[in-house]
Amino acid sequence: MAATTVSSVGQTREAARPGRAEQGAVRAGQAVLFTALFVYFTLPMLTVFLYSIATRWTANVLPDGYTLDWWIATFADRAVIGAFGTTLLLATITAVLDIVVVVPAAYWSRVRNPRIRPIIELSAAIPFALPYIVIGFGLLQFSGIVAPPLQGTFPLLVIGHAAIAFPFLYWAVDGAMAAAGIERLSEAAEACGASPIQILRRIVLPNIRPGVVTGALLAFATSFGEFALVQIVARGVYTVPIWSAEAIRSYTGEPGNFNRLAVVTMVNFIVLFVLSAAVVYFNRGQTVRLLPGARSIERGERR
Amino acid sequence: MTRSGIADRARRWLDAWLPALPLLALVTCALISPGVVLLAQTFVDANGFTLDLWGRVLGQPVNQVAVVTSLALGVCCATISLLVGGPAAWLISRLLAGRRAFWLGLLNVAANFGGIGLAFAYLATLGNVGMLTLVLQGLGLPFEPPRSSSFLALLMAYEYTNIPLFVLLTIPAMGVVRDDWWEAAQTASATRWQFWRRVGLPILAPFLLAGWLLIFTWSIGIYGIAYGLAGKSGGAAVQLITLQIGTALQSDIVLGPARAAILAVVLMAIASASLLAYRHLLRRALRWF
Repeated sequence: MAATTVSSVGQTREAARPGRAEQGAVRAGQAVLFTALFVYFTLPMLTVFLYSIATRWTANVLPDGYTLDWWIATFADRAVIGAFGTTLLLATITAVLDIVVVVPAAYWSRVRNPRIRPIIELSAAIPFALPYIVIGFGLLQFSGIVAPPLQGTFPLLVIGHAAIAFPFLYWAVDGAMAAAGIERLSEAAEACGASPIQILRRIVLPNIRPGVVTGALLAFATSFGEFALVQIVARGVYTVPIWSAEAIRSYTGEPGNFNRLAVVTMVNFIVLFVLSAAVVYFNRGQTVRLLPGARSIERGERR
Repeated sequence: MTRSGIADRARRWLDAWLPALPLLALVTCALISPGVVLLAQTFVDANGFTLDLWGRVLGQPVNQVAVVTSLALGVCCATISLLVGGPAAWLISRLLAGRRAFWLGLLNVAANFGGIGLAFAYLATLGNVGMLTLVLQGLGLPFEPPRSSSFLALLMAYEYTNIPLFVLLTIPAMGVVRDDWWEAAQTASATRWQFWRRVGLPILAPFLLAGWLLIFTWSIGIYGIAYGLAGKSGGAAVQLITLQIGTALQSDIVLGPARAAILAVVLMAIASASLLAYRHLLRRALRWF
C-alpha cells in the first residue's frame, strides 16, 4: 500500500512538474513587472532633476542645454528662503512638542496607569482615519469657537501638526520602551529612591533614545511636507508646500517658473530622503513594519 | 474630614493621570473636539436644530458627483495597488538581501514623495511638455497626454505613492507563507495556480484586503496632489470631496462652511467605516503570527 502511494505520487509529480515554458513565462513576467516599476518610480524623479538644470525644455526629448542658474536664482529668492526657514521651524517645534507630551504619557501608561494606553491608541488611529483636510477644517471651526485670536496663526498650526504627527512618535517610543524593559528599570531606580523626574531623565530617556530620535524624525517629516492644514488653518503662514502650490497654480508657460519649482522640489525631496535614510539608520536597518495598528491588536490579544 | 478626603482623591487621580494630561489635552483639542464641532455644525443653522442643510447640500449635483468620484478614485487606486503591489510585495520578499534592500530603499523614497512636489513631477513627466510626452511625440506617435486635471491623471499620480505604501505595508505579511509549503504542494502534485488558489491567497487575503482598505481610506483623503493638478481648472476639473471642501471654504459664500462641514462629515464617515473594517480584518489576519 505504502509503496503504491509513493510511486503514484512520484509519477504525478513527474507529470505536474512545471515545464520549462511555464518557468520562462514566470521569469519574464517578473522581469517586466520590475522593469515597469523601476521606470515608473525613477522617471518622475529624473525629470524633476533635469528640469532644475535645464536652460529650455519644450521641444526635444532632452533639455536644450544645462545650467546651474536656477539653483542660484532660487537660493537668492527671499520668498523661497523664508519659506524654507518657516517650514524648518514649524517641523522642529512640532517634533519637540510631540516629544514633550508623548514620552511622559507613554512612560506613565507603562509603569503606573495602564488605563492611559487604550486612550492613546484609539487617539493615534484618528490621524490615520481622518484626512488632514478634515482635521484642519475641524480645527479651524473649533478654534473659532474657543479661541478666535488663534485662528490663522503659527501656534495653532503647531498644535495641528503635533496632533497629526504624534502617533509616529508614540509607536516608536512605546516600541523602544518595550525593547528596553522600561518597567523593570524604573522599578529598580525607584527602589534606589529616585524621583519620577530623575527616572525619566537619567534612566528612561537614555534607554529609549533610538525610539525618540526615530519618532521625532517621522514627526518632523510629517510636518515638513504637510499642505492641507497649513492652507486651511494658517492662512498667513508661508511654508514650502504653500510656495510650491502658488508656483504650480500661477504657471503660465513662461520659462523659469517651472525650473525654480523643480529646484525647490529637488531640495524638498533631498530633505525627505535624508530623513527616511536616518530613520532606517536609527532603526538598525529595519525598513519594514507590519500594517499600522497591528502591534496594539497583537498585544491586546496576548494579554 | 471630607475635604481632606476629596483632596486625597484628587491627589490620587493626579498621580494616576498627570503625566498623560498634556497629550490628552492635545488630542482632545486638535483631534476629537474638531470632529465633534464639525458634526454638530451640520445640524445647526441660525434657527437652531435642522436637517435642512444635509438635504440642500446632498441635493446639489456637484456634491453628489464629488462623492461618487472620490469613491471611484479610492476604489481604483486601492485595486490597482493591490493588483500591482501584491505580486511586487511577494517577489520582493523572495529576493536576495542586497536586491531587496535596493527595492525597499526605492519604495521608501517614492512613498515619501507626495503632495505638491509629486503634482509637479507628474506635470514634468506627462504634462503638455513633459519628458514622456516629448519622447513619445519624438517617436512620431500621435500621443496626447491626459488633461492634468482628469481622473486618469490623478489616478496615475496617486498610485506613485500608493503602490510603494501597499508593498511596504504587506511585505512583512509575505513571510507567513513559507517556502516549504510550496514544496509540499509540489510533492502533492499541485500546480502553481492551485497552490495560490488553495493555500497562498486564502492565507494572505486578510492582509491584502487590509492593505486595500488602507489605500482606499488614504486615497479619498488626499488633498495636496489633487490641488496641485486639478485645483485651478474650475469646472473642467475632476470633482472630489477634498477639492470641494477646499473650494467651499474659499469661495462659496451662501452655503460655504456648512457645505464644507457636511462634505467633511461624509469623508469622516467613509474613512471611519473603512478603518473599522480594516481593524476587523487585521485582527483575523494576525492569527498567523
